[in-house]
Amino acid sequence: MVRDLCLFAGYNEDTQIVWFKISYSKGRGVLPAIINFLEEQDVLIMIGHLDNMNQETGEYSIFTEIRKEVDLDELSRKIGELEVVQQVEYGISEHRMIHLVDFPLNVIGVRAIIARAPTLVDIIRTLNESAPHAEGLLTLSGLRGGIHAAKYFRSIMPLDDKNFTSILTELYRAVGWGILEIDCDPETFEGKIIVRDSFIADVYGETDQPICAYMSGYFAGYLTEYSGKNIRVREVSCKATGHEVCEHIISPAPSGEKQEHVITRGVSR
Amino acid sequence: MIKQPNVILGNAELLVTMGRKGELFGFFYPRRDHAQHIDESLACIHTGETLLWTNSNDWQSIQNYIEDTNIVSTKLYHDSGIRISILDLVHPDVPVLIRRFKIQSQKKISGKFYYYSNFNVGETSKKNSGYCDTNARMIVQYWQDYYIGIHSMPEFSEWQIGKAMDTIWWTNSRYDMEDGKLQNNKEDIGNINNAAGWELELEADGTKEFVIFVGAAPSRNLLYKRMHELAKLPLEQIFEKTREHWVMWLSKKQVLKMSGLEGYNNLRQELFNAYNRALLTLYLMNDHENGSFVAAPEFDSNFEKCGGYGFCWNRDSSEVVLALKHSGYPEYCDRFFSWCIRTQLPDGSWFQRYWLDGNKAPSWGNFDYSTQIDETGSTLYAMDVYYRTLEGLKKIEFLEEVWISVLRAAEYLMKRTKTGLHESCMDLWETYYGIFTYTNASVYAGLVGASNLAEENGEAGLARRWKKRAEFIKQATIDRFWLQEGYFAKGVVSEKLDKTLDASVLATYIPFGMLSPRKPVERDMIFFLIENIQKKLSSPVNRHYGIKRYENDAYINGNPWIVTTLWLSEVMFALALDLPYEEEKDLHEETRKKLTEEGIRFLKWALAGTTSAGLLPEQVDKSTGKPAWAIPLGWSCSLMLDNILLLDKICRRKAGSETEG
Repeated sequence: MVRDLCLFAGYNEDTQIVWFKISYSKGRGVLPAIINFLEEQDVLIMIGHLDNMNQETGEYSIFTEIRKEVDLDELSRKIGELEVVQQVEYGISEHRMIHLVDFPLNVIGVRAIIARAPTLVDIIRTLNESAPHAEGLLTLSGLRGGIHAAKYFRSIMPLDDKNFTSILTELYRAVGWGILEIDCDPETFEGKIIVRDSFIADVYGETDQPICAYMSGYFAGYLTEYSGKNIRVREVSCKATGHEVCEHIISPAPSGEKQEHVITRGVSR
Repeated sequence: MIKQPNVILGNAELLVTMGRKGELFGFFYPRRDHAQHIDESLACIHTGETLLWTNSNDWQSIQNYIEDTNIVSTKLYHDSGIRISILDLVHPDVPVLIRRFKIQSQKKISGKFYYYSNFNVGETSKKNSGYCDTNARMIVQYWQDYYIGIHSMPEFSEWQIGKAMDTIWWTNSRYDMEDGKLQNNKEDIGNINNAAGWELELEADGTKEFVIFVGAAPSRNLLYKRMHELAKLPLEQIFEKTREHWVMWLSKKQVLKMSGLEGYNNLRQELFNAYNRALLTLYLMNDHENGSFVAAPEFDSNFEKCGGYGFCWNRDSSEVVLALKHSGYPEYCDRFFSWCIRTQLPDGSWFQRYWLDGNKAPSWGNFDYSTQIDETGSTLYAMDVYYRTLEGLKKIEFLEEVWISVLRAAEYLMKRTKTGLHESCMDLWETYYGIFTYTNASVYAGLVGASNLAEENGEAGLARRWKKRAEFIKQATIDRFWLQEGYFAKGVVSEKLDKTLDASVLATYIPFGMLSPRKPVERDMIFFLIENIQKKLSSPVNRHYGIKRYENDAYINGNPWIVTTLWLSEVMFALALDLPYEEEKDLHEETRKKLTEEGIRFLKWALAGTTSAGLLPEQVDKSTGKPAWAIPLGWSCSLMLDNILLLDKICRRKAGSETEG
């Protein structure tokens, strides 16, 4: 799901990193024609992706490495002269760090940013250390994100019992949050989610308590929005507490006047 | 999160601050400074499909006061065709906010009306306890002896008491409303929130009405009684009683004429409205039991971006009580000066700021070098100004009451001004340590005032001593701080002369009268000050100029302030009145006219910077022209009163001379 993003390491003083965004008329053999032309021009394609703009038009975004003496205006003009090409834009990534073809970055329908995992984990850590009810606060924040994700997916594709877990798994992998194994009964909404390499637990360091409340909230929001019922998700083991993976238990939220928490929290003492 | 109100309302025990969409920001009971019991409190509508929060960007709002009252009308319009009219009033005798919601919809609605609240009773989210009494149809949340309750007409049909910030998010009332059905949990403890719900069945263009009572009391029993008694009364009756209360209170004011302002479009009416609004605002900022005032209703209680405003400063309150006195409300002086006697420190000075009950407030002025000597000067000055307005027995009794306090304060000022300038302390803006023109002027005025009171009390020796020191301070201030450029320096900061122009140097004339316009040299100095302040401190916004506090001011973006702008216009009006006047031939007629016209332009600029309901802020955003930071600010209100009264005097004098002519 991450799009329009390229990261480069290393440095070659003779070349520069150039991105092209090429709109083209769809048709058999069109894309290979563009690629062949670029190769003829000695353009090294490093990474690229395709976007379906509509049934007639496609968009091909590529990051390339090109020798510095190449006249980019001229090259862009030549690409534009290809019969199948409608429009060409290009830009240079001067510092070779991060470059986005389309600014701003967009993930599941809303603006996104790239952040180091420690950046978010530092926020979580600060909340845990300083804010009252930090766990609740993080749960509620995650809940919002999960609700949004389910709403977004439902708006662009059929979301059903067959795919609701695999879509979430794909999303987590794409944004680098973790690798999910979801076991959730779509009738009872009981089950569990295993998170391998959770970005929170990985970066947080060793703790006594599970610290992935944000993810629990996210799962709860996603499943609640999908199911139309209040779903509770609790992290019962966490990589940050020494377990191999993080494990979140899914269950329907208790409802009614005498709720579970009133008893389990020892208020009756 | 800092949220600035658009309106405030209340009575002697309750102060409510509210946003422009009718959402409650603050619920102060039983004092204006403590305790603030609300984090959020507002209405929502579930249309049957989705939950609409009335404070969301999807609603347009129009909000204003019912004329000459502290009753608020808010109208909300949603793109979907839903319209909500909210009438908010606080009963004059009991601390209960009454909120009438009239809901109309162009389309049929089969949904719910919700009233959601996140109370922090006792100003804490910890250890609260909440319950829904289904027999009494009351939602109550309490902490120690603070009880906050919600009652309604008609009775609510569903409810939720839930955890406001917990992993068990589905009990949270915010989320419980989402599906259009509350879980009816009856009680919980800790950091909790609540919601009450009603069926909302509306035909197209239909209307439904809900009245919600949000009340406070020191006990459960009294809360129940108050709410149930009020609910028995017809709303029209409560409305009339409340309206009458405000109209009657305003009827005591000094009546304005403002004749001769016809050439300024609607200015005359705008000034009448501003005058009334400033008075009504100050009523709500006064502690009726103790006599003290909050500088502004607190909006930054965590001190996230400033040191907070919900405390009493002697500097601000001295200005406020004098403005109220001149406007026809002398009783505020009596109560405030009694409070001053009680709160004076053992060394004779007054502390930086206080809780309204007289306890010392959180302060960064705990030492001699960090105190603000001007607050002692201002207090003495105000006592003397008030004394001079009294007559007969009242005059004698007042002097008897304050004399010891005056003596102690004057001796404190003597102790700290041995060299002719005050010892190093903090400035009035609470930013710099040093020696300041403003502070010296206030000490001058304090000692002149004390001298007069001593004279009246038969203490001629003390009177001479204090007067002599006052004159010494005046001379030293002029000698050391008057610059060739034609203004007073800010003062001495870090042992160097700081030539920054600071609008507070206007205090050498208004209010402290160290410079006299009757002396030609000093009159010229005042004119130079006016000219240079306009030249160096003007900040263009709202089609004219506001005045910044000082050059390179960085506090809250260095906006122009209502305070400094109205200070300058007050100086202009006062000077127009103070210029020598001879009936046969007015040598200063042109100057007088120019000063008045310029003053009016600044006054109009201040009026343009109020909230939509007319509340005066501390500042005006230099980019947007909208009210900024503390809203409403008592000091801004008092300056507005002073300005209007002076302009009225100018108008009366002009009308008199024209009549005679």
